[in-house]
Amino acid sequence: MGNDRYDVVVVGAGPAGSSAALLMANNNLSVAMLERGPYPGSKNMSGGTIASMPFQEILPEYWNIDGIPLERKIVSDELWMLDNDSAVKMGFSGKKFGYAPYNKFSILRYKFDKWYADQAVAAGAKLFNNCLAIDLVYHKTGLLSKKVDGVVLEGGDIIHADLVVLAEGSSAALTQKIGLRQRLNPADMTLYVKEVLELPSGKIEERFSLEGDEGAVIGMVGYPTSPAIGKGGIWTNKDSLSIVVGAYLNQIVNKGLNPLQLMERFKSHPMIKKLIEGAKPIKYLAHTIPKGGFKKIPTLVDDGVIVVGDAAEMISGRRGIDLAMITGKFAAEAAAQACALDDYSRETLSSYVKRIKGSFFYENMRKGKNVEEYFNTYQDSDFLITKAMNDLAFKYFKQDLENNKIRLRKMIEELKNMQPLQKTGKDLLYGLQNWEVW
Amino acid sequence: MGNFAKFDTNPLEYVKIIPDSKSHIFIKDDGICIEECENKPCTYYCPTRVFYWEDDSIKILYKRCIECGACPFGCPYDNIAWENPRGGYGVVY
Repeated sequence: MGNDRYDVVVVGAGPAGSSAALLMANNNLSVAMLERGPYPGSKNMSGGTIASMPFQEILPEYWNIDGIPLERKIVSDELWMLDNDSAVKMGFSGKKFGYAPYNKFSILRYKFDKWYADQAVAAGAKLFNNCLAIDLVYHKTGLLSKKVDGVVLEGGDIIHADLVVLAEGSSAALTQKIGLRQRLNPADMTLYVKEVLELPSGKIEERFSLEGDEGAVIGMVGYPTSPAIGKGGIWTNKDSLSIVVGAYLNQIVNKGLNPLQLMERFKSHPMIKKLIEGAKPIKYLAHTIPKGGFKKIPTLVDDGVIVVGDAAEMISGRRGIDLAMITGKFAAEAAAQACALDDYSRETLSSYVKRIKGSFFYENMRKGKNVEEYFNTYQDSDFLITKAMNDLAFKYFKQDLENNKIRLRKMIEELKNMQPLQKTGKDLLYGLQNWEVW
Repeated sequence: MGNFAKFDTNPLEYVKIIPDSKSHIFIKDDGICIEECENKPCTYYCPTRVFYWEDDSIKILYKRCIECGACPFGCPYDNIAWENPRGGYGVVY
């Protein structure tokens, strides 16, 4: 492999890298894709769904493709505001999502990423496993000017290419090394841990009210990460459950939280315990998610370089995999144009940036930039809202002996005792944006 | 401080790790851990407890690392250097 030459080398074989490699290979570019683990997906973790519409932009009717490791089609999406022994539940269950083109599917990354990279390989990309790139190489074009000429692997081999696509995920070592990404603060990321719990499919369907290959997702706030701002969640797979919990890293550090303890505590909640009863842990995973948002988006292109996916901080709310796929697609389009022009300069590649700026998620990220700030200022807002909603719901559903007028007055009184009503409203508004239920 | 000592499960029982012969995690300056770092947060925010405090310095069990990427950012003194393990080594999910 040493000293081979390609049009493009893609660093990282996750959803962003494989999307880019697949579409570039479709456009007849020669592509090398580097994976530092023994196979794509071997180092990757996420909550657990892919969204249908974005994925169809790359592989139309992907659900019909042979061997695709989809777990369950998600027909039920819920948000629980969890208190110590109660929950206020919101959500939507719809049979509509059970038919093509579907809404989303649960996946397990160690299966899905491998399959997806294989699609890029089938299209003509070359995949190198166990392959860590440690730097970029440059070719001198003048006294002061230089041009990207590929990547150096540990051990010194070089893979030459006119374009390097950095799809290296949240840690983004090369993106940082070449100065495109500024150093992140712990407030700019969340840390999540996950367990995969084996459970027979019949039990899953029974416990989550599902039929056949239907699936459910439950997101949870409040109790799972109390006293930090974060989320818990459960995803149904074919014959396992994914359970996830995590929070902003600065809050984990400052509040003395241990992620594994958060997981144990979450799993022992009376309403969670019932869902996972008898399920056997088979995997334990952990990963950071770049949450720096709009303000921390790195320089997205440079001469001969494009940054995509998590390395480019492309996260909006709970959407990450689909944004990785779409940015991979944009990168492939920019690369095809650059190859046609035989010009991989920043100016040509900036069509990638234009595509991103015109996308739906860029607008969402721009709007969402205050949400993260809000939650770092009011770190008690999740707790307050969850508490308030649970107390109110308890009173609302309780059969007591008072007339409705008095009941309502007492409920409002209780809310006011917690904090001013306006602040509660604001917490709820920002909360909804953070939990991404709209 | 949170109460993180109330469980005795070991999640590494079901994690596959191919350890390299040398560490990919380093403390840049032991002096900072002794003199400036009061809480030693790396000993609790790491999801697999790679770090522990013994004999006046942070000890690193790099073979427990599952590469979440949090440690270099969570250290309040930017005193942890973390690199990707060599190709093919480390965690395999």
